[in-house]
Amino acid sequence: MWQGQRSRTVVIGIAFAALFVCCVLPIVYLVATTFGADSDAYTALALDSRQRGLLYNTAFLGVGTALLATAIGTPLGVALARVPLRHQAVIRVIAAVPILLPPYIVALAWIYLGSRRGLLAALTGRDLFSAWTYSPPAAVVVLSLVLYPLSMLATEFAMRRVDGRLEEAAMIVAPPHRVLWRITLPLVAPTILASALITFVLAVSEFGVPGLLRVRVYTTEVFTAFAALYDFSRAIVLAVPLLMVCVVVAATAAGLLGDRLNTARRSAGVSPVAFHDWRRPAGIGFVAVVAAAVALPLLILGREALAARSLGEVVTGSGKAVVRSLFLSALGATLVVALAVWVGYAQARMRRSARLAIQVLLVLLFATPSTIVGIGLIGVWNRPGIAGTLYGTDAMFLLAYLARFVPVAVLILAASVQTVSTSQEEAAAVSGAGWIRTMRGIVLPQMRLGIAAAWVVAFVLAFGELGVSVLVAPPGDATLPIRVYTIIANTPASRVAALALLQALVILAPVAALGATASLRKGQ
Amino acid sequence: MNSSAITLAEITKRFGSHLALDNVSIDVASGNTAVVLGPSGCGKTTLLRIIAGLEVPETGEVILNGVTVSAARRIIVPPHGRRLGFVFQDLALWPHLTVGENLDFVLGSAHVSRSDRSRRTREALALVRIERFSTRYPHQLSGGEQQRVALARAIVGQPHVLLLDEPLSSLDPDLRTELRSELVRLQRSLALTMVYVTHDREDAAALAGRVVEMRGGRIAAVHGEEHRM
Repeated sequence: MWQGQRSRTVVIGIAFAALFVCCVLPIVYLVATTFGADSDAYTALALDSRQRGLLYNTAFLGVGTALLATAIGTPLGVALARVPLRHQAVIRVIAAVPILLPPYIVALAWIYLGSRRGLLAALTGRDLFSAWTYSPPAAVVVLSLVLYPLSMLATEFAMRRVDGRLEEAAMIVAPPHRVLWRITLPLVAPTILASALITFVLAVSEFGVPGLLRVRVYTTEVFTAFAALYDFSRAIVLAVPLLMVCVVVAATAAGLLGDRLNTARRSAGVSPVAFHDWRRPAGIGFVAVVAAAVALPLLILGREALAARSLGEVVTGSGKAVVRSLFLSALGATLVVALAVWVGYAQARMRRSARLAIQVLLVLLFATPSTIVGIGLIGVWNRPGIAGTLYGTDAMFLLAYLARFVPVAVLILAASVQTVSTSQEEAAAVSGAGWIRTMRGIVLPQMRLGIAAAWVVAFVLAFGELGVSVLVAPPGDATLPIRVYTIIANTPASRVAALALLQALVILAPVAALGATASLRKGQ
Repeated sequence: MNSSAITLAEITKRFGSHLALDNVSIDVASGNTAVVLGPSGCGKTTLLRIIAGLEVPETGEVILNGVTVSAARRIIVPPHGRRLGFVFQDLALWPHLTVGENLDFVLGSAHVSRSDRSRRTREALALVRIERFSTRYPHQLSGGEQQRVALARAIVGQPHVLLLDEPLSSLDPDLRTELRSELVRLQRSLALTMVYVTHDREDAAALAGRVVEMRGGRIAAVHGEEHRM
């Protein structure tokens, strides 16, 4: 038993040390650096008209996206939880796809739709939309179409956890719509609010969409200061307000969520409120949203891509970037899961207060804007000595993926660990099995689907990662997102669209495989 | 003899291959109490849920005050249209609403005017002697106080029928005795038709002389003249 405890302490200790180095250290470094920043750099924070515009755009993007994405996602989540839809599992996977697509791909489709030479202008013969296409409201629409699944899934998850008896007790005296409005929705309101706050943070952290739609926000300003002006101090100082907002909002969201993220407990009894009459409107809602968020962008990219002289040539021309992206994403996802599985295990088995503290930290890390993580990583690894040997190599991509996606994977895997009761481990221990043997033979096999899900999510996110990669990429080496993003300005739209479409299809393939596996398991 | 407030006619209910209720028929006269007694899994809770309209019977009919509310495989009158009060085993008090709001939700659903709602809420809380807890949340109350709130919530809408699903099972013996007397007092003063489900013979003896004993989804014995098998 003592042997088992020791091996657990060592493994989890190493995992937390790695979590600190990969995810926490870059941010700590950046915060520490702000204290020593050049005093001139602080003039960047002076609230002149330029700064006010920056602040307004960032706030507009965050609040607008949080409101619109919640307005789209919440009804869909209610429908998934309470309307008996046919092929519900398939509908859920398809409706959740936008959150896995890199946001700039949807932004690109938006540009091809509404710009001066876009589809709408070609169809109407007049340029009615280009001014609106490159505007803060357009960025809000694009980001809402990308981020609404967060609200949808959070709402569905929370509604499925509502104790069915509470709804039954209300149904004795009230019609179903009143039960939904007065009993169910107030009970899930903290989760909906938390998902709205996380959406806010992800929107103000987003770099690709405002960059493409020419909306000046803090993330684009940080990137410009760092990558175009080579002004490290200014970039760091500009990152501070963004980081502070993200920390406060994400901590509030994590606090609101409480145990909801980690507890896999289902509600007692059967949820009785089912809205059979809402099947048709719910179906129409799903079709409309999926058409706008998935089908339309892919069709627009497909239409643009078909104009390329040779699609094969486009793909071959970027073959190196595609292969590098696939390889690095797969390796990165494997490393992310290999680390997250131990941290997730530890988190799931901690006392409640420690578990919640780790959860707050994970949400904060996940919510940290990618440009901030990128600058932090450069600060930590761009130095003489052993640490510096990694800088300028593909290892920086892997560190970027670890820094960005370990927190998400930990949250997924901690929930998966909680489906395995501690008594099973205790039974193995009293049978004489050490901790490693117990993990290998009892816990990990039962987490198979959770591990697969975490790997797919990490792979998909890594394959679309742009914000950190564009900052830490070694000279001359590019992943597919970097290549797409950097050639937009000086390459025919058809080639860019072909690459973006290819990227979207590579992302959708493992998601489809995971969805099919889940459906098959459910069928069994 | 009083007219029937509740009539269950040849009710059958299955959950998969498990036969929960097998051709059960019961009449309960208006203003009377029926205690359904039996061990866990004998179908007594399912019986209550079928009366409430929370489950659909496979065969048979449920008639409340002369109106057929459920028939084979269909709900004719939804639960909220049946004028019922229901005390659940785990009480199911809405945790985000105060005690007063728990009761107000019931009255609001019945379109009672705002001024009447507040008066009737006060009266119902006074009936179960917890009027001072109106602004508290359920988690701020003891088990016995929560039990009284559940009872107040069930009667505030002036239901025709009160259904109770082992409401005292989680209480200590002293509190059980006290609340049992309270229930008897309420039933008599409000002339309620009551169906009380329990596995406890003491409850059955204290509440009524009419007891329906169930076993394996069937009625095993009936003590009292108003029931037919």
